[in-house]
Amino acid sequence: MSTVEEPRTEARRWVGQSVPRKEDPKLLTGRAGFIGDVVLPGMLHGAVLRSPHAHARIVSIDTSEAEALPGVVVVLTGATAAEHVDPMPAFCAEPVEQRAIAVERVRYPGEAVAAVAATDRYVAEDACERIRVEYEVLPALVDPVAAMDPSATRVHETLDSNIVFHRSLDWGEVDADLARAHTVVRSSARWHRMGAHPIETAGAVASWDPFGQSMTVYSNSNFINFLPWAFAGILRVSTNRLRMIPCAVGGSFGSKHLITKVISITGALSKACGRPVQYLEDRADNVAANDNVGCDRIYDAELALAEDGEMLGLVLRIIDDYGAYFQFAHGQHGNAVAQPVGPYRIGSVRYDVSCVLTNKVQQGFFRGAGADPGNFILERLVDKAALEMGIDRVELRRRNFVQPDQFPYKIPTGNIYDSGDYEAVLDRALEIAGLDGWRTEQERLRAEGRYLGIGLATCQERSGYNASEWWFLYGDEAPLPATSTPESCKIDVDAMGGVRATIGCPLWGNSPETVVGQVVAEEFGIDPSAVSVVYADSTSGAISAGPGGSRVTIMLSGATRGAARTVRDKMVRVAASAMEMDPEDVECVDGVFRAKGVPGTSMTMAEVGMRAHLFNDGTSEAESSGLVAVHTYDHPYFTPPTDDRSDLGAFYPMVSHACHIPIVEVDPETGEVTLRAYYVVNDCGTVMNPALVEGQVVGGIVLGIGAALMEEYRYGADDGALETPTLREYLLPSMHEVPEIVLEHLETPSPFTTYGVKGAGEGGRLVAPTAIASAVDDALRPFGVWVDELPMTPERVVGMIADARGDQR
Amino acid sequence: MKPAPFEYAGPRELDEALDLLAEHGDDARVLAGGQSLVRLMNARQVSPAVVVDINRVPGLDTLGLFGDNGSSTLRLGATVRQRTSELSDEVAAHAPLLAEAGAQVAHAPVRARGTVVGSVAFADPSAELPAALLALDGLVKVRSRAAERTVAADDFFTGPFRTSLAPDEMVVAVDVPVATGRTGSAFVELTRRHGDLPVCGAAAVVGVGDDGRVSHVRVALCGADERPVRVPAVEAAVLGADDPAAFTEAAAVAADGTSPIPSCHGSADFRRHLARVLTARALRTAFARATSPKETTDA
Repeated sequence: MSTVEEPRTEARRWVGQSVPRKEDPKLLTGRAGFIGDVVLPGMLHGAVLRSPHAHARIVSIDTSEAEALPGVVVVLTGATAAEHVDPMPAFCAEPVEQRAIAVERVRYPGEAVAAVAATDRYVAEDACERIRVEYEVLPALVDPVAAMDPSATRVHETLDSNIVFHRSLDWGEVDADLARAHTVVRSSARWHRMGAHPIETAGAVASWDPFGQSMTVYSNSNFINFLPWAFAGILRVSTNRLRMIPCAVGGSFGSKHLITKVISITGALSKACGRPVQYLEDRADNVAANDNVGCDRIYDAELALAEDGEMLGLVLRIIDDYGAYFQFAHGQHGNAVAQPVGPYRIGSVRYDVSCVLTNKVQQGFFRGAGADPGNFILERLVDKAALEMGIDRVELRRRNFVQPDQFPYKIPTGNIYDSGDYEAVLDRALEIAGLDGWRTEQERLRAEGRYLGIGLATCQERSGYNASEWWFLYGDEAPLPATSTPESCKIDVDAMGGVRATIGCPLWGNSPETVVGQVVAEEFGIDPSAVSVVYADSTSGAISAGPGGSRVTIMLSGATRGAARTVRDKMVRVAASAMEMDPEDVECVDGVFRAKGVPGTSMTMAEVGMRAHLFNDGTSEAESSGLVAVHTYDHPYFTPPTDDRSDLGAFYPMVSHACHIPIVEVDPETGEVTLRAYYVVNDCGTVMNPALVEGQVVGGIVLGIGAALMEEYRYGADDGALETPTLREYLLPSMHEVPEIVLEHLETPSPFTTYGVKGAGEGGRLVAPTAIASAVDDALRPFGVWVDELPMTPERVVGMIADARGDQR
Repeated sequence: MKPAPFEYAGPRELDEALDLLAEHGDDARVLAGGQSLVRLMNARQVSPAVVVDINRVPGLDTLGLFGDNGSSTLRLGATVRQRTSELSDEVAAHAPLLAEAGAQVAHAPVRARGTVVGSVAFADPSAELPAALLALDGLVKVRSRAAERTVAADDFFTGPFRTSLAPDEMVVAVDVPVATGRTGSAFVELTRRHGDLPVCGAAAVVGVGDDGRVSHVRVALCGADERPVRVPAVEAAVLGADDPAAFTEAAAVAADGTSPIPSCHGSADFRRHLARVLTARALRTAFARATSPKETTDA
């Protein structure tokens, strides 16, 4: 199942260049075609009425006044929607059913209780105001620890407890490592829930054909070519009568893999009235009820070290507040165990996880996807060990890095790290940061009563997932076969030599067209701008898991190169036949098929294309007319978990690495943290396109700044009310909060992937939060502050200083 | 997030606007810059039956000095944009506190639409401009169809988003008496992000006599109580001081007796803490500016 890239010998012309982004012109001029641009004849507009309560029984719903409003076509409650659609997939074993519109009971603030389709969105919202819902308010479960109490109200009566899942797994000799350790450092940590908050919210246009019993759905979902059958199941449409059409996505950050609620509601409305319906979440809908709230974890963690600082074992005890429902089961913990030991040679790991249900919106995937708090707690432990053992934090990391000659390196959980040179990244980061200069500045400012801090973090970015991480924490029985998690590309060269690539993944805010253009250009020697790229709908058969887990450039470049080479090889044969030569003697250079070493004899792409399409002479063996190839690129390196899960297999083996050095200034009186400078050295293997990678890394760091300083869902301690219902309360960083980011790359190509590419989409956010925590610690060292909770809001910073001083507050 | 249906009225004369307010009372809302009202309408937190757009009413965009020798007053009419005020030479010369506080309101595009009077009339307890107006001993000019009255800022703000304005009244202008002598002012705040409403802010005006001692002082806070508030206890403690060290000591009582409204951006206790910290900073800076005009930042 592994493919090993041949050593790079030939010079590359397009791969590795900052080729201008193909997607930019249409995005910058508003012509990309978002879900809000889709208008179908007779289309209605949806709006959703949401629960103001965190937990309540629905006693009654009266929709008569809403239905009487002119312009209203249909009003659905949970019960009437259930006549048209089925519950949403949870990918979990537990009996937890989730419907897009609640039936009988609401379990989080903002859960949908009714939906309206009307002639315009204004009328639809007017109608929502006229729906009378009588609630019997139930006790709200807000604190996950309190929810674990056996006497706590249960979120789902189908379950025995709110602890919906508990598992403790040891890899390696954890107890022995703890026993033989010279020092065991321990830290708690609190990582609160955050979300993606893309500019464009989740949306769909559904059009039900009652005669053909078929459904067409336009949406900004990702999984239309990966799990189209799952949508068919929700919509109660046979899989071969569902057509899902991708729209350009106005930002995702991992947030729109399924968007099942939106598709279910839109589909139910369309089925109920037989007309096309558009429903696009507004900001309030999206903040309250999205599918992308990330992890919400309480850590109690230990790192065991030998006297010389050698890291021996790691213990992670985790309580994760899942909210009211499941989505993707334990994928966010699968994700975390891809790299729990970071870049260090830690011999054993204990992962003890309790997943708890509360009255909050359920978790989903979002940039970082469970590895984000993992990096936070690990780097906190390493910094704490350095402090307690009196070893410089840089030196402690050096002593424990996996060494370049140890790759591919198998970590205790079974995952593989493909390649890396962590010390080289660290050395270069220290160099570009000019650390000595900042230490001098720190001393100078301290004399003035100002507090400058220098952060440091060295972290992994696992990339290119294999979906076995979604389920392998379940059970001891024989596992499912490992999941191939494919990506597809179809290439066709027309009779005039024009190259078109059709891809299964949507435009999700990243740059698939640019990457495909580069790869096709590389293989044919043509200009990337000459390559046309189009997006496949779900009827094309282009299997594609799309962006997610920092995979799409890895997978798409593999799929595209495969298809391009198949077509190119056929064109070589066609050209060879036409030129009466042996195919072995023909090569494709600069888009021209010519005799190797014999200038003058050649055919253009168009000449070969015309011949292949219209003038197949029938003499070449088993080759029909035309130039089309579909290549499905399966995950390049994966192994299945063992029955007892003592080895989870290789499931996330393309592992990028980065060192971040942020410089902060902290005002200890107000608690304000200001970023002064930011330095990054990143290694994501072969850099496909430096401009694109810079955008990913910088954008990820900006989200990481949000995670470190401001982003947090908050709920009322007593009533569970969402206290952050808009972007006035839930804060995202703006350009004013982002310093200049100095970025450099080192490249250790992956041995597993096409061109040696690794992922780069999440690294910024996977590293920045813990790096900035380390910087704040460093700034406030004179007070003895230890950061163990994010975000570091002004109030928390002032509180941490007061606690460290022992002030009475 | 679409507003409920409403009637829109675009009066061309002040009397026409006042007639509409007299007719519709609580069912009407005045629209000036719309930076708060429209957002609230979209969220259906406010659903007025009639929106009275005063942007076409002539004369409300007055910005200038008036008054005779001895005492002059700076007047800002109801449609003077925050950005216009912030960049005005007259505001900078005669009420620099208003310019400094105004520059910290939201972002420039918001200030290009938002009005100074609108912020005052909205009476957000966290907003900068109401606190600045308090520290400047500002006056609120109020009109109804029946009458005209002038309200001291301290009497105008009655609670969170509440004022002494009657349903048929609107604010037509704010007046700021122009200070004389050696005076310095400062506005300092803590925001979660650049341009956000402050968690807490402090406005200070300090006049210094020929003896170098504080002869006049005003301190006002936002985000520290249910309304923008003056802090008389601090003012009394500072009067007569000549040493910045005294300000920190005086600021220790800045939050005594206040009832801050907690939010996800800061608890009541944290807001009290900030009130003390920011009051000291504002006083130190205002004093430094009064005694040494080149001094521009916190000492």
